Amino acid sequence: MERKLSEYIIESKKVNSSDFESKIKIALLGSFTLDGLNETIKVKCSELKVGCDTFYGGYNRYNEEILNSKSNLYSFSPDVCFLILDTRNILGDLFYYPYNLSVDKRREFIQNKINELNNLIKSFKEKSNSKLVISNFIIPTYSPYGIFETKTDYGLQEMVFDLNHKLNNICRDENSIYVYDINGFVSKHGEENVFDFQQYFFGDVKISLSYIPILANDLLGYIKPTLGLNKKCIVLDLDNTLWGGIVGEDGFNKIKLGPQPPGNTYVEFQKYLLSLHERGIILAVNSKNNLDDAIEVINNHPNMILRENHFGCLKINWNDKVTNLKEIAQELNIGLDSIVFIDDDPVNRDFVRETLPEVLTIELPKDPSLYVSTLTELNDFHVIKITEEDKQRGKMYTQQRMRVESEKNSTSFEEYLKQLNIKIHIKKADEFTIPRISQLTLKTNQFNLTTKRYQEEDIKTFSQDKKKIVGCARIEDKFGDNGITSVFIVKKDNEEEWIIDTFLLSCRVIGRGVEEGILDYIINEARKNNVKRIIGNFIPTKKNKPSESFLPNFGFEKVNDYWIYSLEKHSKKPSHLLLLNE
Amino acid sequence: MSNKLYSIIAKIMDVSESDVTDESGPETIANWTSFNSYVLLYQLESEFNVKFTIDEAVDVKIVADIKRHLKNHGVNFNE
Repeated sequence: MERKLSEYIIESKKVNSSDFESKIKIALLGSFTLDGLNETIKVKCSELKVGCDTFYGGYNRYNEEILNSKSNLYSFSPDVCFLILDTRNILGDLFYYPYNLSVDKRREFIQNKINELNNLIKSFKEKSNSKLVISNFIIPTYSPYGIFETKTDYGLQEMVFDLNHKLNNICRDENSIYVYDINGFVSKHGEENVFDFQQYFFGDVKISLSYIPILANDLLGYIKPTLGLNKKCIVLDLDNTLWGGIVGEDGFNKIKLGPQPPGNTYVEFQKYLLSLHERGIILAVNSKNNLDDAIEVINNHPNMILRENHFGCLKINWNDKVTNLKEIAQELNIGLDSIVFIDDDPVNRDFVRETLPEVLTIELPKDPSLYVSTLTELNDFHVIKITEEDKQRGKMYTQQRMRVESEKNSTSFEEYLKQLNIKIHIKKADEFTIPRISQLTLKTNQFNLTTKRYQEEDIKTFSQDKKKIVGCARIEDKFGDNGITSVFIVKKDNEEEWIIDTFLLSCRVIGRGVEEGILDYIINEARKNNVKRIIGNFIPTKKNKPSESFLPNFGFEKVNDYWIYSLEKHSKKPSHLLLLNE
Repeated sequence: MSNKLYSIIAKIMDVSESDVTDESGPETIANWTSFNSYVLLYQLESEFNVKFTIDEAVDVKIVADIKRHLKNHGVNFNE
């Protein structure tokens, strides 16, 4: 249940953004009153333990703020800028009298508006590295032509529809520009709810006060992935969650899963989960059940949508849910705070919420017909970009499960590593790898020496800089391709010593010597360039403990706050790795 | 009812309850912006289960005005 705007306004006065380690700067620009939105965003960020500084551009001053390079907007230097525009404002009197213009003039009008918006976007891009999220336009449900509207060529509604379509087109290929579908927001909640005539006339409030917190939730959907706070994995219970009934009691043939209600609600829920899996969300099972009963359903029930190969980890046993969740996080090598837990049993949910508050435990409604909408309400799975790696991730985690099983069957760890046939493909940053490189810097927490977050624009700039090496590595082994899972950025400002600015490894390839192989590659490159020393740095965070001893173990020596590796030393690439420079 | 009204005003305008009187308004309370005054009216609508007209909303300058309009909607302040 969303709180009232007044509660956010009261609460925002108690929030001090400097109380938090993680910080973000948000700018809000609009063609109408957006008061209350910044207070709400500030409070919602503080609940995520993020200090949020906001800049509110004032009433309808967005043109001046964006076009003037000396404006307050640019001196504030936001990380994300929201520009919320409004149909009445952009159409002016045409909102009421569109048919005073001929069809051709109406088309010309819309084209001119899109040109103006394009100039605004270009101007913003030139002056700022911030992300820009620009709202589309709410399509009016009213028409002066009434029922004849849909018989009219390029009528009022089609004009706005076309404006939205053109806006999407000019933003689609701009990496740092996103279109927020505010028209979809209004469709979802209803124009008569979102738009309040009294508020509009009284204060030019075009989103009614009760919907501002709900709008803020949508905007948080852009803020979370910018900060790397998006969720990576959904852990699911089985009985009464993925199917109706209890397989251990009701039996294989009696569980509710199929075309008839209520079995169809579970089928639909599984379909939605599969769609998340296909864009990169990892699925896992945490269920108190007899393994054989549950696996029989997962593998052989004719109406199951999710099968064993869709799960990165299956914990089907009689252990408690918390123990299983901890093991799942460990096996998948992800933080507990990137997990969403879904279970129909309120006792289990309370237990997990109490013991593991960092896991997002969903308050699942009793009625399974509401499962899908409960999940679609979450703004936690958004990512700034869906890369090819994301689409393959589900498969990769299944391969990972097979690796773990293979490790269990090997007589020694060395033997296991040897038979994996690991290949490291080193690649330089280019237009294909830049999105993934940026994505890894934004979301890698555990094996990350410096945890510097870089947007795509930053990586692009670095890659054109002759004084920097921006590289990444694709890791392959006999079970499959892990995709690009490592990034390094080296600064070459000084000819005698290179500085490792960034060195990170995605958690799913840690512990197989890959990190040593990549560091050895950097050292060999340095040697070829007659460099004397490599300087490393470890900046501790709450999460990067797994990379703490990497530099000293490799042979770096501590001098003041830095780790130094003298190139007179012979470094050692683990012998089980094959390094390929592409 | 006066106490309930003053307490809501104090919270939204971020002042202590003892600072709120019938004469309070934008002149005496720094946070009494036009937007906050609207948030206040909206909050009062739900707390007292009333709906103000736009004429009433525009007419509100100080706390006494709010009381007057609430009375017209049947809220009793004669404790």
